[in-house]
Amino acid sequence: MLAELEEIKTDALAAIGKIDNEPDLEQARVNFLGKKGRLTAASAGMRDVPKEQKKDVGQKLNEVRTAITEVIEEKRAALIAVRDAAAFASVDPTLPSRALPKGGLHPLTHVLNEAVSVLRRMGFALAEGPEIETEWNCFDALNTPEDHPARNESDTFYFENGKLLRTHTSSVQIQTMLKEVPPVRIIAPGSAFRRDEIDATHLSAFHQLEGLYVDKSVSLADLKGTLEYFFREIFGSKTEVRFRPHFFPFTEPSFEVDLKLHATGKAAKWIEIAGCGIVDPAVFEAVDGKRGDAAYDPGEISGFAFGMGLDRLAMIMYGIPDLRLLIENDVRFLKQFA
Amino acid sequence: MNVSLQWLSDHVDFSEYSMPELDDLLTFAGIEVEGIQSLPDHLVVAEVLSSDKHPDADKLSVCQVDDGSGTPRQIVCGAKNYQVGDKVPLALPGCVLDAGDGKTFEIKEGKLRGVESLGMMCAASEIGLTDDADGLLILSPDLKPGTPLSEVYPAVFELEITPNRPDCLSHLGVARELAALAKKPLTGVSHYGNSTTPTRVAKDEEIRISTDSCPYYTARIIRGVQVGESPAWLKQKLESIGLRPINNVVDITNYVLMEMGQPLHAFDMAKLDGGIHVRPAKSEEEFVALDGETYVLDDTDMVIADSKKAVAIGGVMGGEDSGVTESTTDVLLESAYFIPSAIRRTARTLNLHSDSSYRFERGADAYQVNGASDLAVKLILDLAGGEAEEEIVTCGNLPDAPGAVALDNDNARSVIGSDISDGEISSILESLGLECKGGEWEMPTYRLDLPRPVDLVEEVARVYGLDKVPSNQKAWFSPASKADASFDFASKIQTRLSGLGFFETRNLKLISEAQLADDLATNHRGMSPVRLKNPLNDEQDYLRPGLVPGLLATAERNVRFGNPDLRLFETGRVFTATPKGGEVEHEHLALLMTGASAPRSWAENDAEGLDIHDLRAALDQICPDSLHFQPVEDDRLLCACSIEIGSGKKSTKLGLAGIVSPARARELGIESPVMVAEINLKKLMSAASGEAKYEELPRFPGSSRDIAMVVPAEMEAGEVAAFFESHNEPLLQSFELFDVFQDPSGEKLPADKKSLAWSISYLSPERTLEAAEVESAHSKLLDSLTSGLNVEFR
Repeated sequence: MLAELEEIKTDALAAIGKIDNEPDLEQARVNFLGKKGRLTAASAGMRDVPKEQKKDVGQKLNEVRTAITEVIEEKRAALIAVRDAAAFASVDPTLPSRALPKGGLHPLTHVLNEAVSVLRRMGFALAEGPEIETEWNCFDALNTPEDHPARNESDTFYFENGKLLRTHTSSVQIQTMLKEVPPVRIIAPGSAFRRDEIDATHLSAFHQLEGLYVDKSVSLADLKGTLEYFFREIFGSKTEVRFRPHFFPFTEPSFEVDLKLHATGKAAKWIEIAGCGIVDPAVFEAVDGKRGDAAYDPGEISGFAFGMGLDRLAMIMYGIPDLRLLIENDVRFLKQFA
Repeated sequence: MNVSLQWLSDHVDFSEYSMPELDDLLTFAGIEVEGIQSLPDHLVVAEVLSSDKHPDADKLSVCQVDDGSGTPRQIVCGAKNYQVGDKVPLALPGCVLDAGDGKTFEIKEGKLRGVESLGMMCAASEIGLTDDADGLLILSPDLKPGTPLSEVYPAVFELEITPNRPDCLSHLGVARELAALAKKPLTGVSHYGNSTTPTRVAKDEEIRISTDSCPYYTARIIRGVQVGESPAWLKQKLESIGLRPINNVVDITNYVLMEMGQPLHAFDMAKLDGGIHVRPAKSEEEFVALDGETYVLDDTDMVIADSKKAVAIGGVMGGEDSGVTESTTDVLLESAYFIPSAIRRTARTLNLHSDSSYRFERGADAYQVNGASDLAVKLILDLAGGEAEEEIVTCGNLPDAPGAVALDNDNARSVIGSDISDGEISSILESLGLECKGGEWEMPTYRLDLPRPVDLVEEVARVYGLDKVPSNQKAWFSPASKADASFDFASKIQTRLSGLGFFETRNLKLISEAQLADDLATNHRGMSPVRLKNPLNDEQDYLRPGLVPGLLATAERNVRFGNPDLRLFETGRVFTATPKGGEVEHEHLALLMTGASAPRSWAENDAEGLDIHDLRAALDQICPDSLHFQPVEDDRLLCACSIEIGSGKKSTKLGLAGIVSPARARELGIESPVMVAEINLKKLMSAASGEAKYEELPRFPGSSRDIAMVVPAEMEAGEVAAFFESHNEPLLQSFELFDVFQDPSGEKLPADKKSLAWSISYLSPERTLEAAEVESAHSKLLDSLTSGLNVEFR
């Protein structure tokens, strides 16, 4: 009996050693350890074993069963390891990625979002106003002379009812001040329109970002600090910013803002980027006149305003050479900013 | 305006300033330097030593010229207007000249018709000086051959003078400003403002004014002048700023204009019939101006007339026939002050802009009218001889000089945000020519732009410079506005859609009348599109009533460029007119999808085409669980299939979706179905504004049963869904359509039927359901389906 068990063990180890796949291994397990397997059959012979040998044979039986089981499990683990190893062996990770449809925001939206997020950190809230405006909101209230060239039909789009397409987002300054009392701290991104033939540097409809801060004793120093911070957040902390005296009807004093920027591979040069100034008292007077109160008494409050072209900002930030690319929406162009 | 550096140095000494320093000085005065023109290198003065006929070309000459090197240089030349001994510009080999259109060409040694030519003699236009292309530029005989031409015509600044500073529209004006900023003395100007010539009020037959547009008019008569060429210094001055010399008298009036900013006009006395009458033009009065054009005037225009006819459009341009020519002997010199708005109106309506109108319409200094006349007369007597009448004959009155303004220095400091001292403020204002008298500041007569205290603050800030002002970072906490909420909502949708593979477009808001037909008409009940009164062209004469027209145009363009698979969206403003004549502006969102559902790749090389269900899937993603879709009968042309997008229990209409009619898509060159949707963003925002609330997760397992039902082919799935929705069974948790089957051959299913397979889930939040409970609920559902919807089960 002991010899028979030893033989079963030897046979089993030999057979299992040769196996190279999981089904054969399972078959071998059934053959040796299954209900009708050789070891099971042999263990049936226990009842014929003399009583004094039973202990030894029993021990042997267990030893053989354990040995075979161990070898099978070892083999199984080895076979699984081989299978696991093979599972991804044929993967070619250099294949192009499985394509998902690509989408993205318009470059102007990226610029706008960035500008808005910086200005919001500085406590500006958004404001908006209609794009179809009255001449009063767009020009009169902004201290623009009656016969200013910007009011010409050759420069500005009009409607039969006398309204016009706003030529700048500055009309939102007026819209806001008519509705709110100081302090007012707003930014207004939006469209503006000028009667320009479309070419590489002109669009009949373009995008501006307006800012207005009215409070007690707002000064040029506040304006300077605000815009310097803004442009350094956008273009980098070392960006040089300069303020050049200029003229706008609705601010006094007025400045244009230049940034010293490098176009790729070229020497840095001053690039005009925004207009700004201290709100002209005439604007406050016009607003108070319309409001019928003294909420914006120029003796009590002051303010600064600024405006910049977002299309121009996008051109500078992304090196876009032609404004028309921004309205053509060619997906090959849009993909570059996704 | 072109300003010559050499001319400026008549008044201020800038010799120690480099060009960039001068550029900075101008820039921080508020005068923008748009460009600096300077003549190229290798361009020198040459004297023509001899000129012979070219052996092989009748129109060419072979010249020997002295270029200052000591050895004569041979040049082949086509011009005829020079004589031997003349000094002309010579471009030596290596000289780079402007060829127009932003191109340049380099002068090289070469042969012209077989004869060697070692450079090029140039016309004024060829070296970019003036527009005179008529023969060589003949230079002053006093110039030494070999002198670089850039020394004869030094650099010229192209300046942009802001409209509030007409006093800077002259060399004297710019020099005055720069002298103040650079703290340098201004020279050679003392007589300009205060004429010493006696004046006499004109008799009626001499000068009459019958218009408000001319408050003050003067004339001075100079008899016996000799009209001829101007001397070299005068020609060079005018040429250097791009003006073509005409004759000495005309050149002098132009010189005074550019020197002092006072436009003058010289009439030939022989061509005047009687005295001067400054009057409104007659209606339809025709006038032939100096530029040879005929202008039709009306009574808002002003003319200078004699007793018979108009001889000038006042302040704008003289007449073709009355100007000074070689044959003129007696000259009437006009120096006057005109009202800016009148000149502006005339220049604009006639579209006739001259150096003269440019200055008058911005505001000339009325107090230098006589001084300018003096300077011109002095120069005429010097250069053209003759005898001037003793008096300036005047008509009308000078306007009031600018008044005095009090400045509160504390207010100035507060606006500027800097502790600039009283002394500094005074010194800045004084340097600009203001005088403090009795606590108020008096302006010079040429500063028309300083009527209010804030204007003085501006002057102080400008001269002080913002670089000296500290940078404050003053913030204030703003509550979010409605605009903030809309912006954030739009941003969220933009981000979601771009994550779903959509590109954001930004189309022009102006569209053509034809494009109106592409509108989904989401807004149009009783509304009409908004039309411009003065469109630029008929491609852009309407404001868009919706976003789809722009998206379709973009799709057309992209398909044409070889990109047929498109997912596009746009958010933005649309415009409609109300029946009462007002306008309404809305923020909209629109989507467009066409082409393959997935990009072609090794993994997916036969993707299905996008259809309306993809569009709905995208809409569902934008606004999960809050949209529903209802097919609508639609007589509008654009869509072959229209769906109303609604939200909420009351089914608020948010917008429309649909499949663009194949005919329209084909017109646009698009073969695949084109799906579009347009939604009112504000309505979508309020539909989506409910805050997310936690619901308890089911703790007990549910149970599901499948139903395969056969229904008429035309029955919409939505009808069945609505039935489930309204079925009163508390255990019914959800239903899901998982298969739709039709067999056109009729083999497996009659061709007029379709099979819909649903999975119905039953769940109780309180307990695990017994099989019998589920069976009972399910069979009730089946029964009511049979009776309610007349469906069969497979």
